[in-house]
Amino acid sequence: MEYKILKKDQIIKLYNDLTKDYNFFAPIKEKRNIVFRKITNPEEIVLDYLNSKVPPKEILFPEKDILFEYKINDNEIELEEPKNLNEQNIIFGIRPCDAHSFVLLVNFFSQGDFKDEIIINRRKNTILIGIGCNTPKSTCFCTSVEGNPFQKDYMDVFLVDLQNEYLVEGISDKGKDLIKKLSWLADAKEMDIEKAQELKKQAEESITTKLDLKDIDKILDPNFDHPIWKEVSETCIGCGTCSFLCPTCTCFDVIDENVPNKNRGRRIRIWDTCQSCLYTLHTSGHNPRNSCIQRVRNRILHKFCYYPENYGMLGCVGCGRCVQLCPVNNDLRTIIEKIKKIEPKREEKVSA
Amino acid sequence: MPNPYIPILTSVKNIVSENEVNDIKTLELVFKKEEDYKGFNYIPGQFAEISLIGKGECPIGIASSPTEEGSIKFTIKKMGTVTTGFHNCDLGDIVGVRGPLGNGWPIEEMKGKNIVIIGGGFAFSTLRSLVIYLLDKRYRKNYKDITVIYGNRDSGEVLYRDILEEWEKRDDIKVVLTIDREEEGWTREVGFVAAIVKKVAPSPNNAMAVVCGPPIMIRTAVAELVNLGWKDEQILNSLEMRMKCGIGKCGRCNIGNKFVCIDGPVFSLAELKKLPNEY
Repeated sequence: MEYKILKKDQIIKLYNDLTKDYNFFAPIKEKRNIVFRKITNPEEIVLDYLNSKVPPKEILFPEKDILFEYKINDNEIELEEPKNLNEQNIIFGIRPCDAHSFVLLVNFFSQGDFKDEIIINRRKNTILIGIGCNTPKSTCFCTSVEGNPFQKDYMDVFLVDLQNEYLVEGISDKGKDLIKKLSWLADAKEMDIEKAQELKKQAEESITTKLDLKDIDKILDPNFDHPIWKEVSETCIGCGTCSFLCPTCTCFDVIDENVPNKNRGRRIRIWDTCQSCLYTLHTSGHNPRNSCIQRVRNRILHKFCYYPENYGMLGCVGCGRCVQLCPVNNDLRTIIEKIKKIEPKREEKVSA
Repeated sequence: MPNPYIPILTSVKNIVSENEVNDIKTLELVFKKEEDYKGFNYIPGQFAEISLIGKGECPIGIASSPTEEGSIKFTIKKMGTVTTGFHNCDLGDIVGVRGPLGNGWPIEEMKGKNIVIIGGGFAFSTLRSLVIYLLDKRYRKNYKDITVIYGNRDSGEVLYRDILEEWEKRDDIKVVLTIDREEEGWTREVGFVAAIVKKVAPSPNNAMAVVCGPPIMIRTAVAELVNLGWKDEQILNSLEMRMKCGIGKCGRCNIGNKFVCIDGPVFSLAELKKLPNEY
């Protein structure tokens, strides 16, 4: 059987079965926000959330991540690989947009001659048990960026909330194997599957934002100096919320963190943002992106021009966090609509 | 594949102060393990992320040539925490190295051509590497005439004096040194690099030019080359950018959809003109 049923009160049983072999990450409520945490009490799990504030990318790509550890003894230095890279993880209750972002993260960190094995390994050791979005938010626009509130392709196991129970479907081989191990799951009935399809249809229809992003890179590429960049960056305060909380943003800074009064420490990476003027500041004082106009432009171009040019896909999954959490209400959707209206031949210089 | 963020350990074999004000030093590094040195196959124009463990890491062009066997060299200006740390190094101190990184000078494409090398100030380090490589007796025959034009603010700022004097004595390279203003005892050229380029007037026929230096010098020297009939495809630049990882992951060195660390740092003027003016 491909489809199974998980009763809502069986989540505790599911957790107890899986937590022996896996770190079990799930959405819980913390300081009035939904966050993904490695949980120890399955009763804390919240599945009827709309979306977490910090995306679960922090499990693959933590805000602060050890690159290696070091010990300094006289004039000898020992370097050690980061620990815990081979731990097995389950992310329970991840949403389709965030699972989609994992594809982008792994794609980016696998590029070129130097693969980021830290992130690639974490992804390999992580099983995604995702859940469809019955009631997408007003800021959601996944259907405009090759996604869907019931997009299950990027999950290992996919759940649909049928009110009193969840419909369970194994997607990947890993997911199907996992379901086989959970032999106590009941078989789903035909009407359960039909109900799930009906919910999918309703959810898709409830997303009213429809952006046409086909060939957007071809509009953006010749309009680097268009006056629109001044217009759309006027209210930006450069706080970087849009990029820190973006599930597809991958930029980081690297620092050495010494343990005080000890001869050891670690080189870590921490999330960084292209919205900060320090991000590109040269030691000489020269700054290639000195103005807010340039920095806002870089963020948009990165996701909708450079990413498609380099990898053949959009760098956005339509989660809407940047729209919802921007303190000055800069709306990515509005910016895209403005870009779409650029007339092909207009060429004015912006004094950036 | 190994963790790309873990450096190879080397130790400081030699330290040379390169200028009168003593804010530029060359560190010569030897690898702790022989196999690490054998695995460090580089060409002129590449760079490495070098670090003091516990202080931090920074990207620096490799100043030595792969033909100078046994060690690698980095010429470092004292600017911030990490570079000051390098200036305070003693012989035997441990330095982490990740590299070689970046594309380097196109030494294959340069074969059979006249090479014009134009440098200004501190930016001469990867040009030093290139010239030493071109002059090596195994490779010199692959290249035609070599001209070096190297300018500085004053005579105290001229890097690599010993080696420049050696080059001046050779008959298979033309070396033109210049400083901005006249100085007592200075017997070579006086004037900005662009003016000297105009005076030397290197021919663009079957030639490639390499231009490295401060932005204003690059702009003016390139303008002179263009006046002399050089095409954008023949003129090469090496760009500097703020970098953290050096391997195309940390994000900040992008110009349009290119990363300076992996797609560069060497770009022809023709390639640069296709990119947004954001560097």
